[in-house]
Amino acid sequence: MTLQECYAAMGGNYEEVLGRLRSDRLIQKFVLKFVDDGSYQLLLDSMASNNYEEAFRAAHTIKGVCQNLGLTRLLRSSSQLSEALRHGYTPEADGLTEEVTRDYQEAVAAIRAFQASLGT
Amino acid sequence: MNHNKKPLRFLTASLIAVSLLCVCIFSFLAFYMNQRSGDTISSVGQIYMSGMSQQISRHFETTIGLRLSQVEALVETNAPGTKDQDELMADLIYSAKARGFEHLALYSADGSFETLYGSNLTVTDPEPFLASLNGDEKKIAVGTDAAGDKLVLMGVSCTYPMAGGKTCTALVAAISVDYISDTLSLDNEGGLMYSHIIRQDGSFVIRSGDAYRDNYFDRINAIYDELDGSDAQRHIQELQAAMDTGEDYSTVLVIGKERRHLLCTKLAYSEWYLVVVMPYGALNEEISHLSREWSLMAIGGCAVVLAALLLVFFRYIQITRQQMAELEQARQAAIAANRAKSEFLSNMSHDIRTPMNAIVGMTAIATANIGNQQQVQHCLRKIALSGKHLLNLINDVLDMSKIESGKMTLNIDQVSLREMMDGIVSIVQPQVRAKQQQFDIFIHDISSENVCCDSVRLNQVVLNLLSNAVKFTPVEGSIHISLYQEPSPQGDGFVRTHLLVRDSGIGMSPEFQAKIFDSFSREDSRRVQRTEGTGLGMAITKFIVDAMGGTIQLQSEQGKGSEFHVTLDLERSTVQEADMVLPDWNMLVVDDDRELCESTVASLKSIGLNAEWTLDGESAVSMAEERHRRHDGYHIILLDWKLPGMDGIETARELRRRLGDNIPILLISAYDWSDIETEAKGAGINSFISKPLFKSTLFYGLRPFVDAGETIPEPPPQEQEADFTGRRILLAEDNELNWEIADELLSSLGMELDWAENGKICVEKFSAAAPGYYDAVLMDLRMPIMTGYEATQAIRALDRPDASLPIIAMTADAFSEDIQRCLDAGMNAHISKPIDLREVSRLLEKYLNS
Repeated sequence: MTLQECYAAMGGNYEEVLGRLRSDRLIQKFVLKFVDDGSYQLLLDSMASNNYEEAFRAAHTIKGVCQNLGLTRLLRSSSQLSEALRHGYTPEADGLTEEVTRDYQEAVAAIRAFQASLGT
Repeated sequence: MNHNKKPLRFLTASLIAVSLLCVCIFSFLAFYMNQRSGDTISSVGQIYMSGMSQQISRHFETTIGLRLSQVEALVETNAPGTKDQDELMADLIYSAKARGFEHLALYSADGSFETLYGSNLTVTDPEPFLASLNGDEKKIAVGTDAAGDKLVLMGVSCTYPMAGGKTCTALVAAISVDYISDTLSLDNEGGLMYSHIIRQDGSFVIRSGDAYRDNYFDRINAIYDELDGSDAQRHIQELQAAMDTGEDYSTVLVIGKERRHLLCTKLAYSEWYLVVVMPYGALNEEISHLSREWSLMAIGGCAVVLAALLLVFFRYIQITRQQMAELEQARQAAIAANRAKSEFLSNMSHDIRTPMNAIVGMTAIATANIGNQQQVQHCLRKIALSGKHLLNLINDVLDMSKIESGKMTLNIDQVSLREMMDGIVSIVQPQVRAKQQQFDIFIHDISSENVCCDSVRLNQVVLNLLSNAVKFTPVEGSIHISLYQEPSPQGDGFVRTHLLVRDSGIGMSPEFQAKIFDSFSREDSRRVQRTEGTGLGMAITKFIVDAMGGTIQLQSEQGKGSEFHVTLDLERSTVQEADMVLPDWNMLVVDDDRELCESTVASLKSIGLNAEWTLDGESAVSMAEERHRRHDGYHIILLDWKLPGMDGIETARELRRRLGDNIPILLISAYDWSDIETEAKGAGINSFISKPLFKSTLFYGLRPFVDAGETIPEPPPQEQEADFTGRRILLAEDNELNWEIADELLSSLGMELDWAENGKICVEKFSAAAPGYYDAVLMDLRMPIMTGYEATQAIRALDRPDASLPIIAMTADAFSEDIQRCLDAGMNAHISKPIDLREVSRLLEKYLNS
């Protein structure tokens, strides 16, 4: 699995991120680190404990990471979620959280598959 | 209706009560007056009878007195002893006959008669008669002659010698009883009354009328017995008691239904009593006649009063009903007005929501693609269009009262039909896409793209029609909008513009079609209940079209779809359209709609291009390849996205594979292309042109390729990267991954970065460092413990020479309010994520070198 294929599977924009990071090596390095990023867990925990302020920040962070890594699909859902939580809880937030979860897991699955194909 | 029945019930009850009261009062009056008249008649009868009986008894007294005095005169003129006995008797007889006496006799003290003339007499009740005469009194009595006829005997004391040497005690003269009854008119035929003369034991002296018994008391008993004899004995006793004391006795005998007035009085010269009886039969008849009349009058009066009451009642009911109806009408009107208001509000909010959706959606897309300038521009253009529309609508809200009161005026200005259609299409696009509907725009024969019209109103009309089409067309249905022009009958200054909006939606029933242009109507069937909206839209649409002097027609069939056809005569704009001419390139237009192809080719020809068209991707590829082989290739190819078989992107890929990269391939689509942009670019699409394809759309879409000629645009030249060697940057960022990326990127520019995990650490690190150690701070905004805003304010508040170092915000948000807030907090600039090296180095260069 190539990095491009991984990006296609994640719904990311490989060309755009390559334009900014300029090398597959960097992209690969950061993408692999994305799996360990705690923001997603923070989001889930905050939503579960009804701490919507923290959940907003977590969603916002995920959004920022996605922007940096060009993870377009997850960016879109996390962006919408952070808007839904910007001024406290709104009913849409639950559905959007599910969307983020789905997109996140797709992204993580793609990255893991990519990681596995690296043979490490 | 409930509140209507209550007064009605009350009125009916009162009517019945008043009627009953009426009947009662009149009945009572009739009864009472009958009673009163009976009493009055009784008392009148009594007065009359006592007068009558007095008169009778006086008459009797006078008559008897006269007769007795005649007998006395006989005795005086022929005094005993004055003449010879025989002569005396002869004179007596002569005188008595002359005076009309029928019998004359001498009466002895022992009660025997010596008849002078006439027949032998017998006294019926001799004892009292004899006693009185022996007592030297005048007296009368009843007797009978030899034939048994009844006679009245009148005796006067005298002493004539009788045969046998006796002396008589009295002279008795007799006349027929009929004489007395005739004289006294006792049996008054045809009169009201009749009278009897009776003795104290009840036996009749003189009977009259229908009396046939010997004793009056028996008669009374008999009469009562025939009917109901309980009172007879009481009356007889009372009568006898009155006779004993010599008083008059008066009573009313009630015998069955008949009333008789009875008056009994003692007669002079005798032991007789006069009984006067007046049966009320005749009077009763009069009285009952009177009371009948009374009753009739009462019933009549009652009926008149009741009729009057009924009349008043029904009139009142009628008036009340009328008032109720008017009230109900007013209530309905008020309810309708109220409903109109609330529905208008909800309608307005729906109208506002539509462009708002576009703005929010486009903003999200732009935010997500903030680095993609072309995309952002595209989004911003659509946001601007929607925003403009929204602003217009909000102005309309303030203006809406004018429409309601029919005072709407049109603000005529110059309108570009192309811009209008662009705007509308971009507004409805999100909805169309959400419902996966097939959306065709077909524009042809546009002779005047700029017209004079009220743009807001025209927008409103088209948007109303279009959003209704989207609303009432199910998922994967089709919506077709056409715009074309033809010469106007109003002259060269005008152009007749047709707008057709057709959908394959649920359609409308004929009944609904008749009232669709009324306010607040929406087909009320189950199928449309899930669809939002109030129905004011069509009324407004119709009103606007009417105000513009146009017509709107509707063809619809339930289940098949609807077509609205708006025809407007619009004034051509005097402003000249830009001189749109492009080089005479060969072009290929690929679209599955033949009419669109033809109309596009016509538009292209009008701006100087030679164009051919085809209906599908496969033929397009073969045509292009054919021309390419002849070295007369197309300069530009326009591809529709949605094509049968091979779609636009596949076709482009195929064309690129066969023809190379040199020919610009443009995608035309009525849909928002942000979703397919990456894929399309990957397939070799150079650019996009959005439907509707106006002449100007084509011109502005194709012009960028004029300069480039037949080559694709050069990639932007690589910027000279700035050198930041030795610069120290403090970067506040809570997310490690983001930090690493930033560190990685910025380190490549030669600068050194220190990481602060949050705002507080950032301030601490900055404070701990020697003044001038850091050249700048890059500040994330959303951090735990202390935000970027607070950290900036804290740094700016420090008493250090380098407290005013450049602080640049980095955030995932790109809203202007965020930017403003950054500046307010004391930051110098703002860059949005993802971190773009060029942007960062440009800003750093600017602030570090200043």
